[in-house]
Amino acid sequence: MFNSFIEFSLPIFKTISILILIVAYLVWLERKVAAKMQSRVGPYSVGYPHGWLQPLADALKLMTKDDSIPKNSDSLLFNLGPVWIMVVSLASFALLPFYFDNPMLNIDLSFMLFIAISSLIIIGIFISGWSSNNKYALISVLRMTAQIISYEIPLVISLLIPCILIGSLSFGDIIRFQESTWIIFYPILGQLSFIIFFISALAEGNRIPFDLSEAESELISGYTTEYSGIKFALFYLAEYVHLFGICVLGSIIFFGGSNGPFFSHNILIVIKSLLFFTLILFIRWSFFRIRIDQLLKFNWIKLIPLSFAGLLLACFAKYYMDFN
Amino acid sequence: MEDRIVEKDFGDLAVNMGPQHPSTHGVFRLKLYLQGEKINKIESFLGYLHRGVEKLSEKLNYDQLPPVLERDDYLSPTSNSLGFVNAVEKICDIEVSRKASYIRVLIAELQRISSHLVALGTYGLDLGGALGGGASLFLYCFREREKILDIMEDLTGTRFHTNMNQIGGVRYDVKTESIDKIKKLIIELRPILEDYTNMISKDEIFMKRTKNIGVISKELAEESGGSGPILRGSGVNFDIRKNKPYECYPELDFKIPLGQNGDAYDRTIVRMKENIESLNIVEQIISGIPSGNIHSRKPLKSAKLTKPPKGSSYFSIESPRGELGFFIVSDGTSIPYRMKIRAPSFSNLSLVEKLLPGTFIADSVVILGSLDPVFGDVDR
Amino acid sequence: MKLVRIFKNIFRNLSFTLSNIGKPAVTIKYPEERRVFPDKLRLGTFGLTSDKETGEENCIACKLCERICPSEIIEIDIEKRDGRGWAKKFNLDLQSCIQCELCVQVCPVDAIIMMKEAEKPTTSRADLFLTKAKMMRNAENLEESWAKGSLLQDSHTPTMGEKK
Repeated sequence: MFNSFIEFSLPIFKTISILILIVAYLVWLERKVAAKMQSRVGPYSVGYPHGWLQPLADALKLMTKDDSIPKNSDSLLFNLGPVWIMVVSLASFALLPFYFDNPMLNIDLSFMLFIAISSLIIIGIFISGWSSNNKYALISVLRMTAQIISYEIPLVISLLIPCILIGSLSFGDIIRFQESTWIIFYPILGQLSFIIFFISALAEGNRIPFDLSEAESELISGYTTEYSGIKFALFYLAEYVHLFGICVLGSIIFFGGSNGPFFSHNILIVIKSLLFFTLILFIRWSFFRIRIDQLLKFNWIKLIPLSFAGLLLACFAKYYMDFN
Repeated sequence: MEDRIVEKDFGDLAVNMGPQHPSTHGVFRLKLYLQGEKINKIESFLGYLHRGVEKLSEKLNYDQLPPVLERDDYLSPTSNSLGFVNAVEKICDIEVSRKASYIRVLIAELQRISSHLVALGTYGLDLGGALGGGASLFLYCFREREKILDIMEDLTGTRFHTNMNQIGGVRYDVKTESIDKIKKLIIELRPILEDYTNMISKDEIFMKRTKNIGVISKELAEESGGSGPILRGSGVNFDIRKNKPYECYPELDFKIPLGQNGDAYDRTIVRMKENIESLNIVEQIISGIPSGNIHSRKPLKSAKLTKPPKGSSYFSIESPRGELGFFIVSDGTSIPYRMKIRAPSFSNLSLVEKLLPGTFIADSVVILGSLDPVFGDVDR
Repeated sequence: MKLVRIFKNIFRNLSFTLSNIGKPAVTIKYPEERRVFPDKLRLGTFGLTSDKETGEENCIACKLCERICPSEIIEIDIEKRDGRGWAKKFNLDLQSCIQCELCVQVCPVDAIIMMKEAEKPTTSRADLFLTKAKMMRNAENLEESWAKGSLLQDSHTPTMGEKK
């Protein structure tokens, strides 16, 4: 029984440790890329000359900060919020074939369960904003709930379009189908579904140009206003874990997964998702943000009908392909 | 059945945009009464930066005042001392030499560019967030401003509060090496500023967030007491440098950009176009600095020797924020009897009561940023 | 079409920020690198000069600088002997100085000047309260700024001709 426990938990430890290491250095990568785009030098002093010990220094600093709870808040929910978000973000990684051949949970409905689990994150955000007993956190959390719930629909539908063309929902079939060409090079449907997926991924991950509830200039700091110390670090890291998960999903479904331009290996999933992440970084540091009502109007009036039209087109294309 | 459903009318949610806030451009307290995301009513509180400059000026002599007054509107310091010095020269009837006038206008126009760059950079922070695209715009604008501040340090010795204007002339002279450096700066800055104007005016998200926001109609602008880019953004053609010229502006050739609708977009574009006009003025100045003295009075020995005759005078100049005016009453001694400053940001800020109710919270930050208040000027 | 305009917009913004990656950074990594100060620098500390040949102090304690300072930071005590005045005590509170250089401008004997380096950062307020001995040491050790009383007064005299 003990042997099977070790066999059972070893992949979990391996994945979580690699993941935390990658996410901590994603923060370093973001700061360096942002500094290069703004004519400055990012971290350079800790771990001279390129500051590669900076994530460790940040984690140590945040651990020594004062951990205060507001007086009239609900302390159970206040402490539960960041933990919930981190656990759910990490749990959704059980479904992705991230570096290993098979994911830990090998089922047929792969990415639908990923999106279902990661949509539980909004509960964690809501309870942390509500229990802070702070008007700024309340307003920001209300906006965020509306945003995330609205952008779930185009996210799922834009991921269904390639699956209809391929004919199955499991990751193994998707990767095997892309051995010849990637989905993104498919005539019209590939690019259309990628664009819709990209916009919804930015909105789901709370990135500029849709980040109006966290890195605010109007409402100080959104739902993380009252948090300090290690809980703040958990919010920060959980956001990157969730975003990295979406990047991995996008690189598997649209960019071929482990089938590279020249050779095939499992490490290519990590490399491609890192490049996708860098694209999201470039967009973050180049654009302004839009207002909440313009955001919701854009979703319900323009994006959802477009994605439904794409779905219909994919059905017709599949029928045409099967017919011949 | 109807007794079970009780409708309660909750009042407005009162949110405090307190004195410490990332986007209020200074220490300013606004109390917003919200219904959902719309603002119903506001209350504003001023005075967090009051330092008593007008009371202090009843104790210091005329010659000691220009360095102190420069701390008033701290983003374009020479416009403050320029207005004061001209007002005193009007009472005393001192004629300033042409060379001193040219040097004064040179420094004033360079500081106008630097002040407008700060306004644009911090506007980007409001729109885009401190971690995001706004920070990129902020750092680009400040990188260009560093080049201007290096020129000021070369001309006068400090980057900012230059203390060049004195009653009767200017303090330092301009060397030929400095003129060469200014020529190189103009050649570097002109394509960069035009590039920024082009990029911002066609940016999709910028247009979506600032068009038709905070519209000031022509009638409201004329009767409200606003001045500067606020007036010109609504289409009113009034600039003190053209309508009531002072210093050596009648000899220089420049245009006044105007806006059409009076919304936040127009005001920002008017400021950016004024940058390029200021570069034209600087180019005309350095190509023809006349020779002569830089001072028209005897060298300064003691501040108690400056005794203007009895009388009063008012003099106003065009600062980057609007009409900055000084009213001085002198009673024959070396200390002013009363000095009143007409602050442009104070009158501009009073438009906030008319513009904010009815908009969203996100728009309130956009409107405040486009009015460009500087709180050293509002509270003095 | 609107879609084409949006795409052109996105590409223009991205290319503007991405083209900045290749350019060098403008940061000066203090304290390994320092920037070059100009001649007329005004943000340094103060110094009291002495005559180059005889070694006597220049300050005659005429109190002109004390009277013109807008922040009133200078305190001088005068003592008369040997036919001229000497400064018994010369205190300058550097924390309240606004760097206007009016004291340098009015000095008739070029006694008080500004130096090209600031005081070293310190943790006690007494180090920023300059006494006469400290200022005389500053004038010997540090580099002088361009502005001196006689230079400024010469350039302001209305009867002088063109000076560059």
